[in-house]
Amino acid sequence: MKKEITELVQGVGDLVTLPDVFIRINQLVESPNSSAVDIAQAVSQDPAFTVRLLRVANSPYYGFSSSIDTVAKAVSIIGTSQIRNLALSTAIASSFSGLSNKLVSMDNFWRHSLYCGLAARKLAVLAGKCDAEAVFTAGLLHDIGELVIFNRLPQQAQASLLQVLDSADELPLYQAEQQTMGFDHAQLGGELARQWKLPPMLEECIEYHHDIQSARRYPRETALVHIANILAQMAEVQTLDRDDVAPINPQAWEITGLSAADVIETTVRETQAEIAEAEALFFGKAFSS
Amino acid sequence: MALTPPARLSLVLPGFENIKRGWHNSFETVAARLLPGEYFVTLNDEAIYTTLGSCISACIRDRVSGIGGMNHFMLPASASSDSWKAADNSASARYGNVAMEHLINNILKNGGKRQNLEAKIFGGGRIIANMTDVGMRNIAFARDYLETEGLKVTSEDVGDTFPRMVVYFPATGKVRVKRLRALHNNTIVEMETQYLHTIEDKPVSGDIELF
Repeated sequence: MKKEITELVQGVGDLVTLPDVFIRINQLVESPNSSAVDIAQAVSQDPAFTVRLLRVANSPYYGFSSSIDTVAKAVSIIGTSQIRNLALSTAIASSFSGLSNKLVSMDNFWRHSLYCGLAARKLAVLAGKCDAEAVFTAGLLHDIGELVIFNRLPQQAQASLLQVLDSADELPLYQAEQQTMGFDHAQLGGELARQWKLPPMLEECIEYHHDIQSARRYPRETALVHIANILAQMAEVQTLDRDDVAPINPQAWEITGLSAADVIETTVRETQAEIAEAEALFFGKAFSS
Repeated sequence: MALTPPARLSLVLPGFENIKRGWHNSFETVAARLLPGEYFVTLNDEAIYTTLGSCISACIRDRVSGIGGMNHFMLPASASSDSWKAADNSASARYGNVAMEHLINNILKNGGKRQNLEAKIFGGGRIIANMTDVGMRNIAFARDYLETEGLKVTSEDVGDTFPRMVVYFPATGKVRVKRLRALHNNTIVEMETQYLHTIEDKPVSGDIELF
């Protein structure tokens, strides 16, 4: 099983192109010898990313009071690790466009992912004691393994989806995948994150968003993404009834200290109100519905 | 304590032996899984469920005896006529008429009384953006058919942009409708498209028994 995941991940290398600017910033952030100036310089070498960065930094998404008109200012205000997340998040659609497939439209896939990111960020702010912007990126990337399965193993993926429908939507997709293929999209996504040297927090949130007990280093962030994933489903199908969506692992509430009664309705409503603007910001367009 | 469900599986009305049925823990009953083009009628206290994109399911039961069932159909696009009127004999409307007649006639044949029938309709979603709204045509057909037949529609959940999971309990008339995530859109569209190809290739035969 482990071997099959590794081979699949190696097979998608050419289909996914993480932005050069992300890879450079990633190295710089990890390196003890680099400074904010180095990172600003790396950003400036990518004019397209510079434009996206300044647009996001000045958007209501951040809500800074003063206008951010230079890269240096953006790096100092937003912070270097968050610049790294933005380099990944704002180029996400083009990075993964090679994994298009017949089972799910990219618009629908990224809409769910963006809902999850937005919800995860809100929950992280409420829960505290974590980096809300990094948790946003984790939410945005949580299902990335699904794209690989849909693209590389379309028949097994379709069999898994049919199994979910035959179960009257009671069997979760990740369990159907385990039954059909011996592994699921979360495990596969975790392996992708490792191979791409994404920050360990992202790796753990992606790998364990359906299995939060297994998260050892970042249980808090993983539990937030787990909850956000379910709230994203509620926002998508426009419901506030928890029976309409997959269950939330009760441990996630204990780990995060959040209470279902306090956060579910407000988070779902707020993400629904923000989704169109966020789509324009991160994907350059609002998805058709 | 565990129940012993398999014994109840044998209680199927003639003609429905090929419908896939099984025990469902969440419904706590046997449930029949309907695919596009199928219908199912039962005297048992069991569930019938299906997934709908732009197709329609009518759920019809005798509210006194509890016998009832569900169908799952859509009207093919018709070159000869774009009318969906139930009374219209266009090739397109024929498929809807057949699906409705099969369901109603089978309920009556097995003891249901016409004056006791009540209907609910579901589906007809527009789940692919920019596609012609075939769902709306199916909804209009179903409403018109039931009105013409004098059957009261006691509830409906139709249209919108979501695929649906519909679970019907004919014995009580209870229905559970769940909107499905967009993740399932393409799988459901493909099932419905395959069904559409089978009916487009095969003209409807005229052997409807009337009661």
